[in-house]
Amino acid sequence: MASQLMAGNSAVIVGAMYAGCDCFFGYPITPASEILHEASRFFPMANRKFVQAESEEAAINMVYGAASAGHRVLAASSGPGMSLKQEGITYMAGAELPCVIVDICRAGPGLGNIGPEQSDYNQACKGGGHGCYNNIVLAPASVQEMCDLTARAFDCAFKYRNPAVVLADGVLGHMVEPLRFPERALDQGIETAWAVAGSAATRKNMITSIFLDFDELETHNLKLQKKYQRIKESEVAFEGYRLDDAEVVAVSYGISSRIARSAVDAARKDGIKAGLLRPITLFPFPAEEIRRLAGRGCKFISVEMSNGQMREDIRLASGCEPVQLVSRYGGNLIGLDQIIEKIREVA
Amino acid sequence: MKPTDLGTYAKNTWCPGCGNFSILNAMRAVLAQLDEEGLPVEEVVLVSGIGCHGKIVDYLNVNSFYSIHGRTLPVATAIKLANPERKVICFSGDGDCLAEGLDHLIFAAKRNIDITLILHDNRVYGLTTGQYTPTSPQGFKGKSTPLGSAEPPMNPPELMLVSGATYIARGYTHGIDLLQRLFKEAILHKGFSFVDVLQVCMTYNNLYESYNKCVYEMKGNDTSSFDEALRLSRSWRYDGPDAPIPLGRFYQVDAPSFEEVFPGFELVDLDEAKREKKISEVLERMI
Repeated sequence: MASQLMAGNSAVIVGAMYAGCDCFFGYPITPASEILHEASRFFPMANRKFVQAESEEAAINMVYGAASAGHRVLAASSGPGMSLKQEGITYMAGAELPCVIVDICRAGPGLGNIGPEQSDYNQACKGGGHGCYNNIVLAPASVQEMCDLTARAFDCAFKYRNPAVVLADGVLGHMVEPLRFPERALDQGIETAWAVAGSAATRKNMITSIFLDFDELETHNLKLQKKYQRIKESEVAFEGYRLDDAEVVAVSYGISSRIARSAVDAARKDGIKAGLLRPITLFPFPAEEIRRLAGRGCKFISVEMSNGQMREDIRLASGCEPVQLVSRYGGNLIGLDQIIEKIREVA
Repeated sequence: MKPTDLGTYAKNTWCPGCGNFSILNAMRAVLAQLDEEGLPVEEVVLVSGIGCHGKIVDYLNVNSFYSIHGRTLPVATAIKLANPERKVICFSGDGDCLAEGLDHLIFAAKRNIDITLILHDNRVYGLTTGQYTPTSPQGFKGKSTPLGSAEPPMNPPELMLVSGATYIARGYTHGIDLLQRLFKEAILHKGFSFVDVLQVCMTYNNLYESYNKCVYEMKGNDTSSFDEALRLSRSWRYDGPDAPIPLGRFYQVDAPSFEEVFPGFELVDLDEAKREKKISEVLERMI
């Protein structure tokens, strides 16, 4: 199949189009705007809907509307825009609507800057808006995965009728690598009989997140929690690298995981039994695998461009204390030496 | 005070030829002049939003607040209410306050709060490299509208007129004398004053030639007449390249400003002891 040099943000649109995404609603924000640009170029050509909305809130509410009608909808943004979108996302989680939101994470808090960070981890993985809910969160680490995981996010979102977030960062969005195009467009034969399509068949369908009766809302919440449990049991994805005999395990996702991989190789050359666990899904988190490695006596290092947000999940899963942290902030990437040093220290 | 006294050491990152330079220079000259005439620059607060325009507050040595995208006016409204004796001047872009923050703009005009808003209207999102905005002409080909934007543009002076603003004008970044005059009028106006500044974006939307051909200064128009202001503001609708574009003041009327009619605001004018006594009385009533 065709292979082409492409930036990560462009690859998102390739993945979305192959996954049958037929609506895109966006608002300009660096470093995610190229997703908007590519959608504006290719969606109209394929007779799919594209709108640059008047605001981030307008864009996410357009997503809410199209999703309720059973469409495959994509939105993309970055930190400040993601914060504004939280209202729409919690309503969609409550109303059990599928959609895919790509977060090209930049450095925060506040306006921060447009350099890369992984500091939206908690916002994406722990809900982000009000109420008890979870997004499905996928974390690409290459241009290929920007495409493939966007496509997979649609399948997960529709399988569970739940918002899915593709959590990337400014480097992944902008770096250029060869992209192997998908073999074929994904099967769209996904059940959307629940949608409100304005037809006789869907006339009795109800999409809502309001349940005024306390017990009814509690029942709805319990149903959501059961769904998240099913997602945890079925959708965990991760990549293990040199884990077979590893004693020190770097846990890292996205762009940081590529540096951590090099650090593992360097440590191995020094005779240290290091390995890498790269979560591909952040929700659900690969807790079982971490538990297994902890049971074997592995020590963990969380390598993330944030303040130990993922480390909390590693702690919970492993029961290990301390879990070391290697991080950088403010738009800086983690240095290779920084990770190697920490591996040596822990080993 | 000389205008150069209001400069800063911040590195200017606007593109060469950007219309923002004219707005910066005009504002600097006006603030220096007003300082000489009895409005100390220390009593001025500047608020900007997010976009290329936002950096203006880094280049002016004046109290300032670099706020959030679209939220310039809510921040400024609260600053004005907290310190009603301050002069509050907002800078905002067309994407900033006509898209993300449009609701706030309409409410500032509706309340007629005593704030000046300078609209850096370059009709394109410059900082995010060239998408269409609410004032881009229909058919505008930007990075997110390769086939041309489908929407007709918004007309900001018309919108402000029907929303309740009490001073409305339009300037152009290649007419610095007029720009200074309008800025000064707007700042001295009591109530919500709005100056739409047609600004060239050299990189993504350079309308320099088209504007030069079309702009003219309104003379002798009755600025107290809502109907005349409406007619003049609608005489150019931000679309065709060759229609005459009126510059100058469209509208100015006296009306009570938000702070003047804000309940309980008479307290502000009381001296410290009287104010404390009054507040104590209120607290006692709650017991």
